[in-house]
Amino acid sequence: MIELENVSKAYDGQEALSNISLRVERGEMAFITGPSGAGKSTLFKLLYLAEKPDNGTITIAGHNAARLNSTSIPLLRRNIGVVFQDFKLLNNKTVYDNIALTLRIRGYVEKDVKERVHSVLKMVSLRHKADNYPLTLSGGEQQRVTIARSIIGEPTVMLADEPTGNLDEENEKEIMKIFKQINTKGTTVLIATHNRALFENTARRVFFLDGGKLKGEEQ
Amino acid sequence: MFSLRLALKSIFNEKWMSLLSMFSIGVMLFILIAVAIVVYNVEKLTARLPERLTVMAILKEGATAEEVKAAQAAIKAEPAVKSVTFVSKEKALEELKKSFKKDDFILKGFGENPLFDSFDVKIKSEGADGVRQLIQRIKSIRAVDDVEYGESLMDSLYALKSGLRALGISIGIVFLCSVTFICYATVKILFYRHREEIEVYKLLGATRWFVRAPFFLEGTIIGILGGVVGSGILMAFYQYFLRRLIADMPMFAFMSIPVQFLYMLPVCGMLLGLGGSVLALGRLKY
Ligand SMILES: Nc1ncnc2c1ncn2[C@@H]1O[C@H](COP(=O)(O)OP(=O)(O)O)[C@@H](O)[C@H]1O
Ligand SMILES: [Mg+2]
Repeated sequence: MIELENVSKAYDGQEALSNISLRVERGEMAFITGPSGAGKSTLFKLLYLAEKPDNGTITIAGHNAARLNSTSIPLLRRNIGVVFQDFKLLNNKTVYDNIALTLRIRGYVEKDVKERVHSVLKMVSLRHKADNYPLTLSGGEQQRVTIARSIIGEPTVMLADEPTGNLDEENEKEIMKIFKQINTKGTTVLIATHNRALFENTARRVFFLDGGKLKGEEQ
Repeated sequence: MFSLRLALKSIFNEKWMSLLSMFSIGVMLFILIAVAIVVYNVEKLTARLPERLTVMAILKEGATAEEVKAAQAAIKAEPAVKSVTFVSKEKALEELKKSFKKDDFILKGFGENPLFDSFDVKIKSEGADGVRQLIQRIKSIRAVDDVEYGESLMDSLYALKSGLRALGISIGIVFLCSVTFICYATVKILFYRHREEIEVYKLLGATRWFVRAPFFLEGTIIGILGGVVGSGILMAFYQYFLRRLIADMPMFAFMSIPVQFLYMLPVCGMLLGLGGSVLALGRLKY
């Protein structure tokens, strides 16, 4: 479950988000849309605790974000899978090691790591690229590596920032299928996108952001 | 262990910097240990000095037999004293004559024996530092007139010894700090080079400890390897310098290098490396 109450965030006096209140239920799959610069990525940064809000309260996976101390932030982050808009892949590590990192950080033994990395690589159809380095991959492939890394930890909340921004229609459908799949298993999924095709005719809730303000919500 | 692998990989990736740090640490630890060896040898030398030193307690003229006996017992009771032998003035004269051998005509000029009764006091080596106080105590015994010993030699040796000790300690502190600083700087640089990676680790839910462990390990490993380099230099120094020096000039034969020093260097490097990395990461937020 994700909840924001009167949340504001400004960068150098410029408001990136102003007075946002929204709520995504446990197990729901919802979208945030709006033009670029609307504040979608900023909203996500607040949710995965990379930034602190100037005002308002944020509740995520049952925790009040402002009340978390530095030892529980890592534990909360393990419950949140993030597809970063800029991927944040480590270019000096192979695709395999990038994805495995999520599990190694959690102290998994290598045998389990291997098994699970291969299974998510299969899900994003990148098994043959396991030993490649990120910079040798196309934008769409890098994006799928990022998605694989975010789902491998079986998070309770999934935040995907423009997850299909670099994908062709074929791959886009595959990826959306994966999101729906993990949502069916109980994961709350929030997807930020400016691509209307992702949510049209889905009957999912969509939040409209523009200039840092919540302009509306639609079923 | 994942952290260890990361640490080794990072050292390998930055091999020039790591090697440079390791060699500077090695050289510094070597200098440090060289100073320690000099201090050690001087200590060893001076520790045995009192053993060779003869202290002569000259007895007052006219001291009664009881007084002499009491004095002997009192000196004997000192824990640092190995033996006390009474030397009558007649015997002293005989000894003196013996040492002059054929030239004993020098002594013929004296009508009566010019010497004194005395005690020949031998001191145990452990009592080294308390020699002066011991002399003072012997002097205060009633039957004893004066005490003679290699005073000026002792004094200058003790001055040299305490000077060397002070010098050794100051050099030691300076070099310990330098080694810690090198580890500190190396770890800090490695940390900054990996900042982006660390950022990602954190976003994926890595704990503070998980992020730091590889850097602690790196500092420690560089410290240990620096110590090994230092031990290597020390061994080379011994093989190619000290042994030849002793062969050419046997007067330096007392110089020795305790084997423990060879193990001590890596341990020392390890502690300093760990200390340096703790300092480097201690104040950082994550
Ligand atoms: N780190 C930052 N420093 C300064 N301004 C920022 C920073 N991050 C975002 N912004 C500003 O906040 C606004 C919202 O940005 P962002 O959340 O990235 O929009 P979106 O993801 O919807 O395209 C933009 O005007 C952007 O310039
Ligand atoms: Mg964005």
